[in-house]
Amino acid sequence: MAIDLGFWTLQALNALQLSMLLFLLSIGLTVIFGLMHFVNLAHGALYALGAYFAAWLAAYGGFWLAFLLAPVAVAGVGVLLYSGLIKRMRKSGPMAQVLVTFGLIFALLDLTRIFWGDLPQVLDAPAMLDGRLAFFGIEYPTYRVFIIVLGLVVLAALAFVLGRTQIGAMIRAGVDNDAMAACLGINVEKLFFVVFCVGCALAGLAGAVAAPLLSVTPEMGLQILIPTLIVIVIGGLGSLKGAIAGSLIYGVVQTFGAVLAPQLASVLIYALLAAVLVIKPTGLFPAKG
Amino acid sequence: MFRHTALRYAALGLLASAAVFQAFTADYFGLEILTEILILAMLVLALDMVAGFGGMVSLGHGALMGVGAYGYALLSTMGGLAPPVAMVGAVLVSGAAAWVIGAICARSHGIYFIMATLAFGQMAYSYVFEAPIFGGDDGLGGIVRPDLGAVGMDLNDSRTFVLFCLAALALVYAAAVVILQSGLGRSMTGVMHNEQRMRALGLTVWRVKADVFGLSGMIAGLSGVLAAQHILYISPGLLSWTVSGEALVVVILGGLGTLVGPLVGAAAFVVLKHEISALTTYWHLVVGVILIAVVMSRANGIFGWIEARSAQWGARRSADPLHISQTEEARSDA
Repeated sequence: MAIDLGFWTLQALNALQLSMLLFLLSIGLTVIFGLMHFVNLAHGALYALGAYFAAWLAAYGGFWLAFLLAPVAVAGVGVLLYSGLIKRMRKSGPMAQVLVTFGLIFALLDLTRIFWGDLPQVLDAPAMLDGRLAFFGIEYPTYRVFIIVLGLVVLAALAFVLGRTQIGAMIRAGVDNDAMAACLGINVEKLFFVVFCVGCALAGLAGAVAAPLLSVTPEMGLQILIPTLIVIVIGGLGSLKGAIAGSLIYGVVQTFGAVLAPQLASVLIYALLAAVLVIKPTGLFPAKG
Repeated sequence: MFRHTALRYAALGLLASAAVFQAFTADYFGLEILTEILILAMLVLALDMVAGFGGMVSLGHGALMGVGAYGYALLSTMGGLAPPVAMVGAVLVSGAAAWVIGAICARSHGIYFIMATLAFGQMAYSYVFEAPIFGGDDGLGGIVRPDLGAVGMDLNDSRTFVLFCLAALALVYAAAVVILQSGLGRSMTGVMHNEQRMRALGLTVWRVKADVFGLSGMIAGLSGVLAAQHILYISPGLLSWTVSGEALVVVILGGLGTLVGPLVGAAAFVVLKHEISALTTYWHLVVGVILIAVVMSRANGIFGWIEARSAQWGARRSADPLHISQTEEARSDA
């Protein structure tokens, strides 16, 4: 029984770790959508960019420098994207936005190949996080615990900023009704710009912390995009609660599905998504009532 | 509703004669490219039917194409059916799959519809990728082309196969036009413009959407069957969502909702792909930049741009003095 319990604890931790990674990505995407109804398919590409920046910076100043600067660098790319493309696409329909950001995926994919080549990059976890932690009678890699803790810290910070500060109230007002928020004197454009940059930085952060777990390839952005989209559609586009719930659901279904029903694991999550879309087309926690 | 204008007839005539000319004169490599164009053209025709005339932007058409390809491969090899029967079977299977997807997604709109079709497409992709019956990520080989020896045609000859695909595409185009001009097609366009009003008129909206989506799925399935017969080998990559994304890119490059435009787009896309791939390995960068430029320019793709230009030119030529003064007035008002 004790072995069994350890096994399930391990799986639960795996699920949590996957959820936290997805949460870092989906929270930015969902708030960008909620605030401005802008669908940024290139969000996954920004995540890949974060991983590349991290691998590149780590070669100069070690992991912690990369960890701190990669999100900033990706936010910088976000500023460029915003002023170059996205500002002009704000008034277009979802179709045009999907296509422009789809084009961006293609372009960024090849740009990373031009700068860093086709070979996978490697980023090692720092020595202090390299070992294993023993608790509850199990051993678990310290680095994965670090990701879980980081996710929880970001979650707490975001919950505080969004729930308790003025700018958080402004963002919530904007998500709820952007026209009304603008009428009340909130500069929604500027708010969107800030949120967009923070979202990009979080994507970059996710890429940087994911890099030691996976090999850094140009395709990693494409691979993470679909799970991220599933998370925000299950949770409800634009909804903060939805991003948390969606990440947890995805992590749990994917991890435990692979253990309990390996044959169905990959189909399970898509079936769940289809079911959610049929029963509650706007997701489990819709942003608007 | 879809109408044939003189310009559209002219473009169709040009495309058809270019294809026939190529089919008879090109070398082996040229024939391969032409086949690729014809198969892609059929897929984007299916997509334009639902996206351009029904507002149902689907990211699941690549998967429907894959269903057709795998359906044909399984029915003809393991099922032991004669290739023509297997072809019909595969088309029916993909049509049925598309009908079900269309029926389920009919309640979703806009970005949710895109996501829902994406979900179903990915579901099919990961199932095929994992299931041993489909050969997993190794794919399936041993596919045969139909034997048309009875009418004196050998489809294993690539020139004959090109003509076979061309004939199929012509038939499919005609069918698409008939569907779009029928009551069903008109109802769907009505639903796109004002769903509430169509419902108030007593239309069962979800049935209309599902029916057209199913028909479009049959066309996508047929393109998959031809793709399987072309390469004689299939892999799960056919069902990947990037295939659907590329199809959408082609529709946009050509001109959404013009039916002729996507054909132009398919030809331009494949030729461009081969030309640029010969020069550089960064072909996706070029496509990405072109796509962004086309969407930002707000023109409706290549063919949409030509149509708008010719309409302007026609208006200027037929404008009487009164008309000119009116437009000037309008301009000064603005």
